Amino acid sequence: MRRTAIIAALLLGSAFSLSGCDKIKQAVSGKSEIKVVETEFPERVFWGDTHLHTANSVDAFGFGNRLGPEEALRFARGEEVTSSTGQKAKLARPLDFLVIADHAEGLGATKALYDAPRLLITDPTLRRWYDLMHQGPKGSLQATGEMLQARSQNKLPGGLNDPAKAEERTRKIWNDHLDTVDRYNEPGKFTAFFGFEYTLMQGGNNLHRNVIFRDNKDRVAKIMPLDPTNELWPDKLWDYMDGYEKSTGGKVLAIPHNANLSNGLMFMMTDPSGGPMTAAQARRRAAHEPVVEITQIKGDSEAHPFLSPNDEFAGYGTAGWDLNNLLNSQPTKPGDLAGSYVREALKRGLILEQTIGVNPYKFGVIGSTDSHSSLSTADDNNFWGKHPGVEPGPTRATDGFVPGINSGRMNWQSLASGYAAVWARANTRTSIFDAIQRREVYGTTGPRMTVRFFGGWDFKGDDLKGDWVHAGYRRGVPMGSDLGGHKGTGAPSFIVSALKDPVGANLDRVQIVKGWVDKGGKSHEKVFDVVWSDMGKRKPVGGKVPAVGDTVDLTRATYANSIGAPALASVWTDPEFDPAMRAFYYVRVLEIPTPNWVSYDAVKYHLTLTPDIPRKQQERAYTSAIWYTPA
Amino acid sequence: MTLRSRAASLLREPLVHFMIAGVLVFALLAGRAPDAGERRIVVNAEVVSRLLNRFTESFHRQPTPQEMDGLISDYVHEQVYYREALRLGLDKDDEIVVRRMRNKMIAIATNDAEAATPTDADLQKLLDKDPGRYAREPKVTFAQLYLGADSPATRAAARDALAVLRQGGDAARFAQAVPLNPRYEAADADSIGATFGDAFALALRKLPRGEWTGPVTSGLGLHLVRVDAVIAARPPTVAEARQQLANDWHEANVRKAEEEAYRKIVDGYDVVIEQPK
Repeated sequence: MRRTAIIAALLLGSAFSLSGCDKIKQAVSGKSEIKVVETEFPERVFWGDTHLHTANSVDAFGFGNRLGPEEALRFARGEEVTSSTGQKAKLARPLDFLVIADHAEGLGATKALYDAPRLLITDPTLRRWYDLMHQGPKGSLQATGEMLQARSQNKLPGGLNDPAKAEERTRKIWNDHLDTVDRYNEPGKFTAFFGFEYTLMQGGNNLHRNVIFRDNKDRVAKIMPLDPTNELWPDKLWDYMDGYEKSTGGKVLAIPHNANLSNGLMFMMTDPSGGPMTAAQARRRAAHEPVVEITQIKGDSEAHPFLSPNDEFAGYGTAGWDLNNLLNSQPTKPGDLAGSYVREALKRGLILEQTIGVNPYKFGVIGSTDSHSSLSTADDNNFWGKHPGVEPGPTRATDGFVPGINSGRMNWQSLASGYAAVWARANTRTSIFDAIQRREVYGTTGPRMTVRFFGGWDFKGDDLKGDWVHAGYRRGVPMGSDLGGHKGTGAPSFIVSALKDPVGANLDRVQIVKGWVDKGGKSHEKVFDVVWSDMGKRKPVGGKVPAVGDTVDLTRATYANSIGAPALASVWTDPEFDPAMRAFYYVRVLEIPTPNWVSYDAVKYHLTLTPDIPRKQQERAYTSAIWYTPA
Repeated sequence: MTLRSRAASLLREPLVHFMIAGVLVFALLAGRAPDAGERRIVVNAEVVSRLLNRFTESFHRQPTPQEMDGLISDYVHEQVYYREALRLGLDKDDEIVVRRMRNKMIAIATNDAEAATPTDADLQKLLDKDPGRYAREPKVTFAQLYLGADSPATRAAARDALAVLRQGGDAARFAQAVPLNPRYEAADADSIGATFGDAFALALRKLPRGEWTGPVTSGLGLHLVRVDAVIAARPPTVAEARQQLANDWHEANVRKAEEEAYRKIVDGYDVVIEQPK
């Protein structure tokens, strides 16, 4: 008891400050005098990352990250920064918005431990980590691997993450963080959100949430990021969110991520105790968590081949991530998968709604990076890795996910993914937040494809010849919405239009994924190829459109847009619609095959790689769904 | 309750008396009679108000009396250990102490720069030094018709559509259904680049005004374009670029202060770097 108290005091005291420092940032936070006008409806898509870690994250610092929020913001805005490994890094295209989501848990704690006087660190474990971190990058990775291990077993030394003892340190870091973020928020040009990550974990199963505030500093400074607990459901987080909204009049939402590493716990059919989920519980979840992160560096959570055996594109970014939970402490059993993937969760939501009257999993989807290097990158030809231990270099393709640590994963399994696409009416905190809240968002695995998706009851092919965007909003609903009651006698129809990334690959096809639940309460899914390139030549065989082809040249890490199409659009009517069955529809857009980041590395560093390492991929966009509910 | 009366009442707290007595006992046991100098720890109104301020700065509220007692108790502990450690020479050759002192010196050297607020004249000077960096992007108002990927057929369609448009006709039948706007109002170069590719954004600025032309190539394919207005890039006013200017000014100012402080100090030192033989 006494020992941990001393450690905590050390960690606390090492948040070194001089009086006067706190005034600093206010002094320069002068805002440019710009008034931002919202358009009548969303006219352009804004690109961002809702999930970036800086040196203030307990693991990121351990991984060797020495870049703070300021460098992260400058980088996202398109400026060149020097990475933690001393390399010049720059985004080819700036982002429109960024959420720095540092772990609330032990905020700044590893940095504090690193800076603490060794003499007074009496806890042998903390002392070991201190020594390892001071040995250099390898030791630091080792220490961080051990910390994560300890975290999964609830064996972290008290001094490292005790929220009460670290409160003053956390306050200081949080307030500095708010000041910095504010200095880079430029309404109309670049939105810097306030947020943090709530790293809820149950025995190493990933139940993490990113928390994002709609508000400015006057409100957000009234609270502190919340430390996580170990339950199955984030009830304490939702209490905290309710408390924030009630006491400040502000708004906040949470985004679950890496369902793929939750061993089935992210999208449960039951309540946390294993009993039936109640309507109140379902409503509470849906109210706090309007979107889910569907893809990121640690794999893709859209669909799994085991769950979707008829979907030949279901295995993207799942290999290796589907063997164990996040901290490699529990193997994943086949029965776990259904609670770990987004498509299945959308189906589960329908079943639950049919049973209890409320759909807890009526969420939209976004992509984000979860980068721990302060560098938000999702382009395969400019990928800076999950953390500084795997920044560009000749060995990272074949290193472990955390080099030198048996994490159960290889780094080549990392995806250069993803980004969040938001159909907002302006580039401001309020507009982007509101768009996320109403689920008018989609996720991509990195490429910036533009995707529109509207559902309605009377769309016809001819609509595409006119002003179909206005028609979409006036006579229908955009992605993330409810179709509303069944009108007329026909089936719902959908306008879908996808455009390639202007500096990226052509599109292979546009698909609509339908999920529904029958009267017996059983869920189903079907993937419809809606429109694809060279439709005249690529006739479906056995209900499947043949593969688009492949122009990838692995010796040079190039591809050619001689196949595929730059744009694909269609009006699609559900041929199997049954007005008695609840259903959802979302769009998946596939690019033609392109080299992955490993292939770019292989060319740059002249690597010889074994054939088990994938070198190509078909990158994709996933939209939020449109739901149909029988009257 | 004013700060002063709060501090005064704290000084009357029995716990505080107890603690001060405890300090005396500790000092006696440590082997040397306390003198009026460095071995005398006084928790006076000034100390109390400093502790109080630090607390309220961190927590945005007043401490409870119990918390205040805790702060004072902790302060006394800290002073006792700290002074004893200094007496034992524990600060010598301790790399953490050395690093802390270095950081403290840097913080002192840069404290003014950190807290400094630039005047408009400062920002104007910075702006004049590198107007390109702060230039407001050019804005273009234009209409566009997307025809599809570059191919002989698309080029033929482009010719036909152009003829229709130049006669004031409706060329909608040539347009592909894409999530692009038919018209962009005063769009800045960055957002045009993000949607169409940078080369297209650049090309727009060189096109004739007020008439349909093309095809123009973008990252998406071929377009017919009518540029209605181009607002050229221009240096901004300080008010328009205040945030970026202030961020840059602040960063440069702190760096400069640190470098100057070091140069001033190191000038007074004789640095000898002996090469290993």
